Amino acid sequence: MMPSVNALRRPALVLVLLLAGWQLWGAVWIHTKAALAQYLLVRAWDSAQREGEAQKPWPWADTWPVARLQLPTLDADYRVLAGTSGQALAFGPGLHEVFDGAGGRWAVIAGHRDTHFGFLQSVQPGMALWLEDMAGSVRAFQVASVRVVDSRVETLQPPSAGPAGLLLVTCYPFNDWRPNGPLRYVVEAMPSPAVHPLARGSMDG
Amino acid sequence: MMTIRPVHHFLAARTLLRLCFVLLPRLVALFLCGLLLNASIARADVGFEPGSGQLLLQRPGLPPEPALLQHSRFAVQIAGMVAVVRLQQTFENTSGDWAEGVYAFPLPGDAAVRHMEMRAGGRRIVGKVRERQEAQAIYQQAASSGRKASLVSQQRPNLFQNRIANVAPGETVSVELEFVQPVEFAQGRFSLRLPMTLTPRYIPGISLPRAENGAAEASYLAWHAATDQVPDAPLIAAWQHPRAGADALPLNPVDIAVELDAGLPLAQVDTPSHAMRLSREGSRYALQLARGPAEMDRDFVLRWTPATGSEPRAALFTEAVDGDHYGMLMVVPPALTQADTAIPRELVFVIDTSGSMGGVPLQQARHSLAAALDSLRPADHFNIIAFDHEYRSLFAKSRQAVPDALRQARRFVSKLEAGGGTEMLPPLQHALQQGLATTNERLRQVVFLTDGAVGNEQAIIDMIAVRIGASRLFTVGIGSAPNSWFLREAAALGRGRHLHVGESSEVSTQMDALVDYLAAPLLTDVRVDWPQAVAEAGGPLPDLYAGAPLIRSVHFNTPPQVGVIRVSGRLNGQPWRQELELGDSAQQPARGVGSLWARARIQALLDERYTGAREAVIRANVLAVALQHQLLSPYTSFVAVEEQVSRPTDVPLKPDAVRNTRPGGQSSQGFAYPQTATTASSKLFFACLLLFVALLFWVMRGPELDHVPDDAKR
Repeated sequence: MMPSVNALRRPALVLVLLLAGWQLWGAVWIHTKAALAQYLLVRAWDSAQREGEAQKPWPWADTWPVARLQLPTLDADYRVLAGTSGQALAFGPGLHEVFDGAGGRWAVIAGHRDTHFGFLQSVQPGMALWLEDMAGSVRAFQVASVRVVDSRVETLQPPSAGPAGLLLVTCYPFNDWRPNGPLRYVVEAMPSPAVHPLARGSMDG
Repeated sequence: MMTIRPVHHFLAARTLLRLCFVLLPRLVALFLCGLLLNASIARADVGFEPGSGQLLLQRPGLPPEPALLQHSRFAVQIAGMVAVVRLQQTFENTSGDWAEGVYAFPLPGDAAVRHMEMRAGGRRIVGKVRERQEAQAIYQQAASSGRKASLVSQQRPNLFQNRIANVAPGETVSVELEFVQPVEFAQGRFSLRLPMTLTPRYIPGISLPRAENGAAEASYLAWHAATDQVPDAPLIAAWQHPRAGADALPLNPVDIAVELDAGLPLAQVDTPSHAMRLSREGSRYALQLARGPAEMDRDFVLRWTPATGSEPRAALFTEAVDGDHYGMLMVVPPALTQADTAIPRELVFVIDTSGSMGGVPLQQARHSLAAALDSLRPADHFNIIAFDHEYRSLFAKSRQAVPDALRQARRFVSKLEAGGGTEMLPPLQHALQQGLATTNERLRQVVFLTDGAVGNEQAIIDMIAVRIGASRLFTVGIGSAPNSWFLREAAALGRGRHLHVGESSEVSTQMDALVDYLAAPLLTDVRVDWPQAVAEAGGPLPDLYAGAPLIRSVHFNTPPQVGVIRVSGRLNGQPWRQELELGDSAQQPARGVGSLWARARIQALLDERYTGAREAVIRANVLAVALQHQLLSPYTSFVAVEEQVSRPTDVPLKPDAVRNTRPGGQSSQGFAYPQTATTASSKLFFACLLLFVALLFWVMRGPELDHVPDDAKR
C-alpha cells in the first residue's frame, strides 16, 4: 500500500521548515551585511579622508567609499561606494554614473530600496541634501522632484537644461516582494546655496 | 468488459473522499492566503502619494521629445564590383519652433561620398566640398542669418554628421548624398553591407572642463562631453531612442531599393538582414523591402553567389572622368585547399564583455569563441583574455590545448557576462606584447571578438601598427551594428582578416571561414606589373587569404593601351602568376571607379601616419585629392546654403538631436537604470509562506491522528 498521507507529514513538515529557515536566513543575512558594512565603510572613509586616497573597507573588497551622502531631516547618513554592481550595492549606495549635462556634471547614486535607500520613500521636495567628496568639500542640494519611471521605456539621462544636480535612484514600489521590477523611483535634487553646518567655510565665518 | 469489484470500488471512493476532505480545505486556505498577500502588495502600490501633489508618472528628466522626425531612403545600383548608392535623409519638423537638426549617421567605412544636395519646398541646392573649418563657418553664418543650410561632415570614416539649419515648423527638408562603395568578395560570395544605426561608442578618458573643449554649443546634443582621449566625443556620442525599435512601427523608417547587375550568372541572391521582394529581368535583379519601410536598427546585408563555373578569376574595371583614366583590378587566387602545414600555433582570443555587448551580441561572441576552441589542434597553444573596463586572462600564459585546459576555457567562456566600460587598449596591448616577448617557432594569432564600440579607435589602431610584431590580428565583428571600419582597419594593420557575425545562425559558417584564414595566408609576396605607367592608390600589397581577392585601384597616366597585367606571388610557398590582357573582355567600364581610386588614395595617404608622416603633410595631400574629386574626407565637408532668407532673425532657432535607433538585440545599456532591490523581500516572502504552510501542517495534525487507528485496523 502507498505510504499514507500521515507518514509523509513529518518529513514534509521538516522540509518545509528547513526551506523556510533557509529563506529567512538569506533575508536576514542581506540586511545584516548591509548594516554591518556601513560601519566598516565609515572607517574606510575616515582613513581615506586622512590619507587623501581611496581605502578599501576590507582587504578583499572590490569597491570603496567615494562620497558621503546625508539627508539630516530623515537621519540618513551613508557612505557611497564606487560602482553599482550587485556586490557594491549589497554594502551601500553606489555612484552609478556621472553624466555631463548641459550645466555640468550630474551624479547618479543608486541604492537598494529595502536597505539603504528605503528612506527615499519619505523624501519630500524641499529637503536638504549634502554630498561630501573625498577631499572634504561639501556640495549642498535641495530635493526638487520625486517621480517614478519605467526603466523599460526610459533610460537614465540628465535633463538637457539647467544646472547640474544629483539623482538618487532606487526600485519602486518600496514594499514589493519581487526583486527585479521595471519601475524606478527617482529623486532629483538641485544645487542649493545652503552651507553645511559643519563645512569649514561656515566654521571659519 | 471488466467488472469492478464493489469492495475495491468502495475503498477507492473512500480514499478519494478523504483526500478531498483533507486536502481541499488546505488548498483553498493556501490560495486565499496567497491572494491576501498579493492584494496587500497591490494596495501598497497605489498607496503612495507624493507630498507636493505633482504628477507622478510624468516624463522624466529626458531631453524634450525630438522635434525632428527622420526617415531614410537608400537607392542602390550595383554593377559588377561597384555599388553607387543614393541616400536620401528626410527631416520633418513636428514642433512649433524653427529647428536645427543634428543627425549622426553611419556609412560604410570605405564609401566615397561624392555628391550632396538639399531639397526644401521644391527647391534644390547642390552642396559643395569645402575645407572642413571653412564649411563650418559658411554653415554657421547661414544658420544665424536665417538661411536654410546643410553641413555634412565626417567624424569617423564610418560615422558622419548632418546638420540642417532653419527648418520651419511643419516643414520637411531632405538631404541627398551619393556615395560609391566597392563590393566585397570573399569565400566565393559577393556582399554589400550598409550600416543603418550606431552602437554607442564607449568614451574612455577624463572629461575635459567645459570651457576648454570648445564644442560646448553641441554638447547638450550628445550624451558625453569631450575627454582627454576622445576630444570630439560630443560629435560621436549621439542620443538614441530610449526604447527599442520595431519594423512594425519604425522610429527611424528606411526604404531600400536595390538594382543588381552582377555581370555574371548567379546561383543565389539573398538578404539575411531584411525580407526583400525580388524580381528579375535577364541578368538584372531588382529588390525591394517586402513589408514596406523597416526600422533602422541593423545593418543591411545583400549577398549574391555566382553560379558554379562562372566564379570571377580576374577583372579590370575602368572609368574615364574628365580625360583621366582610372582602373580597379580584381584578381582571385585559385581556390586551393590549404597545404596542411602542421606549424604549431599560438592563438590568443580577446573577447569584449563590455556593456554594449549585452544581450544577443555576447551570446554570439560566446558561441563563436566556443566554435573556435573546438577547432584547436592538440599541438596548439592558446589563451583567452576577456575585458570590459578591466581585463582578465584565463591563463597567466598560453597553455597547450589539452582536454583539461579546454575544459577550463569552456567554463570560463560560459561564465562571461556583459557589463562595464570598454577599455580596449590594455588587453590588446597585453595580447600583442606577449608576442613581442616570446621568440618561438609558433605562428602567433590574435582573434579579437568585439562590436568595436569605442571612441578612441585611432589610438588603438596606432598601437596595433606599432606592436603587431610577428603576430597576426583577426577581428570578428559582433552584433547588428558593429564598428566595421575600425575592425577592418585593425585587421588590415594586423595582417589578418576581418569577418562579421551579425546573426546567431551565421556563427558556424563564419567560424569555419575564420578557421580557414587561421591556417595561414595563401598568397604571399604579391606583386602587380602594369604594362604602362600607373599611380596605384594603395600602399604595400597585403598577403592574401584563401577565398579573398586582391583589389587594386589605379590611375592610368595615359589612356589604357593594349598590354598584359602580370600578377605574381607565392602560393602555398610555390611561385604563382596570373596574366590579364588589357583591352580584352576582362576589362569592363564601370561607373564610380574614379571616385573609388580617390577614396583609396585618401586612405593610403592617411595610413602614412603609421610610417611616420607628419599630420600637416598628410592633411595637405588629402585636401588636394578630396577637393579635386569633390569627396568627403576628415579634412573636407559638404555644405549647401540657400540664397533666400527663410527664418526672421528675431525668431529663435532651436537645436535638436535626431535620435538613432538602438541596434537590434542589444540590451539597453550604458545609461540604463541599475538593479536596486535585494532579494531580501522575496526571501522573506517565501519564508513567511513556507512557515504558513508548516503551520497548516501542524494544525491539521490533530484531527488526522484520529484516523490512524482506522488505518491500523485494516
